Amino acid sequence: LRLGGRWSAAGGPRAQALRLIYTTTPVQRKNVGASGPEKYTEEFIKKQIEEFNLGKRHLANMMGEDPETFTQEDIDRAVAYLFPSGLFDKQARPMMKHPTEIFPEQRKIQWGEDGRPFHFLFYTGKQSYYSLMHETYEKLLNVQKYQDQLTAQDLLPQKEKKNLAGSRWLTKIELEEMLLEKLSDDDYSRFIQLLEKLMTLPCVDMEEKHIRKFSKEVPTQLKKVVIEPLKYDERGVAFSTGEGTRKTAKATVVVYDNGTGKITVNGIDILHYFPVLQDREQLLFPFQFLDRVGKHDMVCTVSGGGRSTQAGAIRLASAKALRSFVTEKEVEFMRQAGLLTLDPRVKERKKPGQEGARRKFTWKKR
Amino acid sequence: RLRAWLPRLTQVRWSRYDPSYVEPEVNKELYRKPWEELSEEEKEKLELKAVQPIKAAPPALSTSVFSDPMISKFTNMMMKDGNKVLARSLMAQTLEAIKRKQLEKYHKAPEDEKETIECNPYVIFHQALKNCQPIIGLSSITKGGKTYQVPVPLKDNRKRFLAMKWLITECRENKNRRMLMPEKLSQELLQAFNNEGPIIKKKHVLHKMAEANRAYAHFRWW
Repeated sequence: LRLGGRWSAAGGPRAQALRLIYTTTPVQRKNVGASGPEKYTEEFIKKQIEEFNLGKRHLANMMGEDPETFTQEDIDRAVAYLFPSGLFDKQARPMMKHPTEIFPEQRKIQWGEDGRPFHFLFYTGKQSYYSLMHETYEKLLNVQKYQDQLTAQDLLPQKEKKNLAGSRWLTKIELEEMLLEKLSDDDYSRFIQLLEKLMTLPCVDMEEKHIRKFSKEVPTQLKKVVIEPLKYDERGVAFSTGEGTRKTAKATVVVYDNGTGKITVNGIDILHYFPVLQDREQLLFPFQFLDRVGKHDMVCTVSGGGRSTQAGAIRLASAKALRSFVTEKEVEFMRQAGLLTLDPRVKERKKPGQEGARRKFTWKKR
Repeated sequence: RLRAWLPRLTQVRWSRYDPSYVEPEVNKELYRKPWEELSEEEKEKLELKAVQPIKAAPPALSTSVFSDPMISKFTNMMMKDGNKVLARSLMAQTLEAIKRKQLEKYHKAPEDEKETIECNPYVIFHQALKNCQPIIGLSSITKGGKTYQVPVPLKDNRKRFLAMKWLITECRENKNRRMLMPEKLSQELLQAFNNEGPIIKKKHVLHKMAEANRAYAHFRWW
């Protein structure tokens, strides 16, 4: 499913909801690596890699470029040029990638010729998971032993509170890909609990290498967006533009500095264009939040949608335009107030067999 | 048919936002505080928020002095068929009517009583709602084939919802044909503010029922 969801068990009338909250899109791929025994032998994959390299050189010759410096992006461009496709799904279009990206990593055969398994935990069924738990617990015991030694000598260092905001643990699917084994939610939560317990100990730094394999950095949301500098028009007044959308309404806005707070929409004053108080409140929201109500002039063009949608689109556009006038901290405050996020809510489609998106037809007993 | 392959799980509620998105915080005061004055917890929360994506603020929310979450909630409950314009105008007329009535009383009252009369309609609204909120509610529990009404403590949200629901149903049903909604609402709010009126009576009736069914309180398991 491409949309994030919350699930509940439909049992009797008083079923307690079990919440399996999960993440969506790029993280929600099928883990083929753990599904079954080897489907592709090693020689097959080696042959595919040789064919891929040869094919890369042929393609470079065809396009008239140097085969030595032909990168993956060049391959993608060449394939898109030679085999143009109008299919919507990117995965369905012709592609040429390295075999390790196309054939997922798989577990090799776990037992030797005599039928005896290599790993000592093979008969548990989840050998990599249990061996991982063993290792992590061993590290925990080592850290505790070291701590006891230090406490005996009264050299225990104070626990500094580490900032956990910039990192997150691997998700269940990423862990499955790492171990090439299917995990249950219970197993995954046990592993995360063990890691959290490790993190609480003061002398954790000696096992940091092991822990770092299971954590990922999360970049601050602000760094993903580039703020444009101010532009100056003929009169020397600073201005900046912004664009915003909401449902089907599109708005473009130019915010001028040294103004009196006059706002014009499609050539009409806002008092005439938006007779409803709520819409005018929305237009002034970004200015009021930054305490700059009478200081800027605004000229907007908006099309599509309805009255509330157009107001929302102009609000987003003006917030984006105001980013150039304001310090980085205030931009972060605007983002945390929800002014800079595009509203993804759109009209839900009507489904067959129902009267509307959610409403079902009247139920008739006979 | 669509859900044949999901034997017991059905999708109940989903949203267009990814589950990792967090609700926006609109209160300007929180953002005006300088870094040093924040406590440890607040600093941690800020750090966490810097990494989390945030949902867009809904169209009814804004930092203006006139927007109040309780009043917005009440307006939404009064709204019929999505006609927010009408609901909002009714709410504005109600507050105006309350102010007018209180001002009339203020000007007619003698000097020493003038200070006790409350003229701010927002204060009256909040106090009236608070007075209408029941403390304890009844829940039907089936045990041994019979259904009992068991007294149960209510959550804050549920109390507020019940108070607002009673106000609105009272205004829609028990009025004369010619009386308009703002007038009737302002009447009910002023009565609730003084702890009189049909809604307060309803609350007391509920409390008495809960007191009467005290014997079944042990049926509750949560």
